[in-house]
Amino acid sequence: MTTVPDVGTASLAPTAAPSDHRRSPVPTFGMMASKFKELRKRRGLMVALVLVTVGIPAVFLIIRLLLHAFAPKTYGPAGGYAIYTALVSGVLYAFGFIMAATLGATAGSADLTEGVFRHLVVTGRSRLALYLARIPAGLAIIVPLVAVGFTIVCTVCVFAAPTRLSFNGVNVPSGLSRAGLESWAAGHADEVICNFDFRIGPSSPIAPVVNYVPCNNGPNGGPTPVTKAPPGLPAPGNAAQPTQSQIRGAASLIAQMDYPDYVRQFIYPSTSLMIKSGLWIELEVIIGFVVGLGLGSLIGQRTVAVIMMIVLEVVLTPILSRARIPHLSNLQRAVVGLATAHLAPGGLPVLGGGGGGPAGGGGGNPGLLPESTTVAVCVIVAWLVGWSVLGAWRMMTRDA
Amino acid sequence: MTATTLEDDRFREAESQWAVETRGLTKRFGQNVAVNGVELLVPRGCAFGYLGPNGAGKTTLIRVLLGLTHADAGTMSLLGYPVPRHRDLALARVGAIVDEPRFHAHLTGRENLQVLASAREPAARGRIGSSLERVGLSHRADDRVAKYSMGMRQRLGVAACLIGDPQLLILDEPMNGLDPAGMQDMREMIQSLVAEGRTVVLSSHLLDEVERTCDAVAIVDRGTVIRQGPISELLAGASMTLRIECTEPTRGRALLEGTTLEAQIEVAPDGLGITLPAGTSREVIAEVARLLVEGGISLYRLEEVQASLESWFLQVTSRLGDE
Repeated sequence: MTTVPDVGTASLAPTAAPSDHRRSPVPTFGMMASKFKELRKRRGLMVALVLVTVGIPAVFLIIRLLLHAFAPKTYGPAGGYAIYTALVSGVLYAFGFIMAATLGATAGSADLTEGVFRHLVVTGRSRLALYLARIPAGLAIIVPLVAVGFTIVCTVCVFAAPTRLSFNGVNVPSGLSRAGLESWAAGHADEVICNFDFRIGPSSPIAPVVNYVPCNNGPNGGPTPVTKAPPGLPAPGNAAQPTQSQIRGAASLIAQMDYPDYVRQFIYPSTSLMIKSGLWIELEVIIGFVVGLGLGSLIGQRTVAVIMMIVLEVVLTPILSRARIPHLSNLQRAVVGLATAHLAPGGLPVLGGGGGGPAGGGGGNPGLLPESTTVAVCVIVAWLVGWSVLGAWRMMTRDA
Repeated sequence: MTATTLEDDRFREAESQWAVETRGLTKRFGQNVAVNGVELLVPRGCAFGYLGPNGAGKTTLIRVLLGLTHADAGTMSLLGYPVPRHRDLALARVGAIVDEPRFHAHLTGRENLQVLASAREPAARGRIGSSLERVGLSHRADDRVAKYSMGMRQRLGVAACLIGDPQLLILDEPMNGLDPAGMQDMREMIQSLVAEGRTVVLSSHLLDEVERTCDAVAIVDRGTVIRQGPISELLAGASMTLRIECTEPTRGRALLEGTTLEAQIEVAPDGLGITLPAGTSREVIAEVARLLVEGGISLYRLEEVQASLESWFLQVTSRLGDE
């Protein structure tokens, strides 16, 4: 039996559905704000984010400040260029990416795993809008957090920088012009000749001079010949003793040769470098978040997504950025970590690059697989768009 | 089409007399047909029970209706809007709980509703307070959901439905996890919603609750709607049972079996149980009494047992036979 029920009760007068563009893929501000709030209220996640992006650099710098304050002869200044590069390219770059990916994976999967996704779908709101609302919501959390951590690093590295530059192990005033460096070198000739890096041939006019200067860098701290001088020259003491004027002239010439290296050394990072590296770190964080969001949405759970992102950042990227695998170099260039490394600002060593030397953005680091800036930008855009499309597609087609 | 005519179209489509209408709706999971050609008509402004044993396909049908999963065949409309073509318009006035209501445990009840309200029209945010009050959760609205009992989550689920000012509520097993007082509260709430003119579709296997709450029901078994209609009409089609306390029940049965009476007769220690076909007239009852008395059997009590939804459900579904 199938009869039409006639229950005879009054019903609400039919009303038009609210015209709030519910089918539109553009999320409303309210959706973004509520998602932001939902993420921000995750206490454990927020503590982890703050600890890693702000806490680690802050604690590291505070310890260095205290050590330097109590034992300045044993422990150097807390800040400075070297500390800056280590924290930015070592800590904020890698951990910022991982934490952003964790936040992204959470944003991409939490509604689903916690059973709220179906409540949201039942509102009739576009699933694409639900997905897109997560992007500004998550970025509004991770970008400022990393900015705070980065600001702390910059502040300490600038204001607690050493007063003199350590160049080839010699304390040298910073910011000298070429003439200024030559003049300073003339006044510290022995230090310059013994410590500065230089290569000269046998015919060099300063060869006899530098060979004469005894440097206490022998096996037992005793005087040994300057090994930088060409062989075949008389040992110190056997050659005619150079005049003080000749020694100063040789030191000036060495300073002249080393000036290009010297100008790349800083007591503290320049404003330009800080701005560029700040933007670069934020780019890395945005990539981490968007990829994590897409991956989390695609596989529908956080833990696996986070593990995959850590493996990508910590294991695969360093290997694929440096290994020369025949016939697969173009595939290697598609790794987003390599692309962002190539966009690193000059003067900042890239991740896994062995530290120290200036990278020279756009593929200046000789250890990295070469890649043009255009290709690097294309790879990054492809990752951002590709993972967003994948995540959104899965969200739109998933059974809720 | 101008904006004005679009608006008219919305009204026209929403004027359908059916809150839910499905034609040949089918959903398969591989070889398993969870929803099999369902033809369902739910009138507006009533409490409608959607009944079936566990695994009958109740939740799957609800998920299909709400667009949580796609249908493999058939058509459907909610509040007159064809779904999925006008799913956004239809769901704008639909509130639903599917399976157990789950929320972000780290947020408070109020914050969870704010999250859901943000996906609805702006006015939904203004209904949060009244919705919480209506379900009796105002005093716990600012506690984290992690601290809520199952019953409180059920009530929060209903509040989540109400923030959209729905014309149609689809509640999947809303009595699950509720204590007797909670079930009574839920029943009264559903009845009050219906009294306001809203339509409530209630999926459940708690037949007693459905009978007390709903005006009409559909019975689903193995993915197919096998009966639907007002409860009173359906039960009128059920067989009638007489319970008779008497002496010598065995002889009484023999006496009745020797007549043309079409009945199933069971002997109990204190009397007889007689099942008569649906629509049997009251004269037949009098005839049974007369036959027994004339046969020298003393009658102490004769009672017509009203068919309950549960007994009727067991008659029409196949589960009893399976077990």
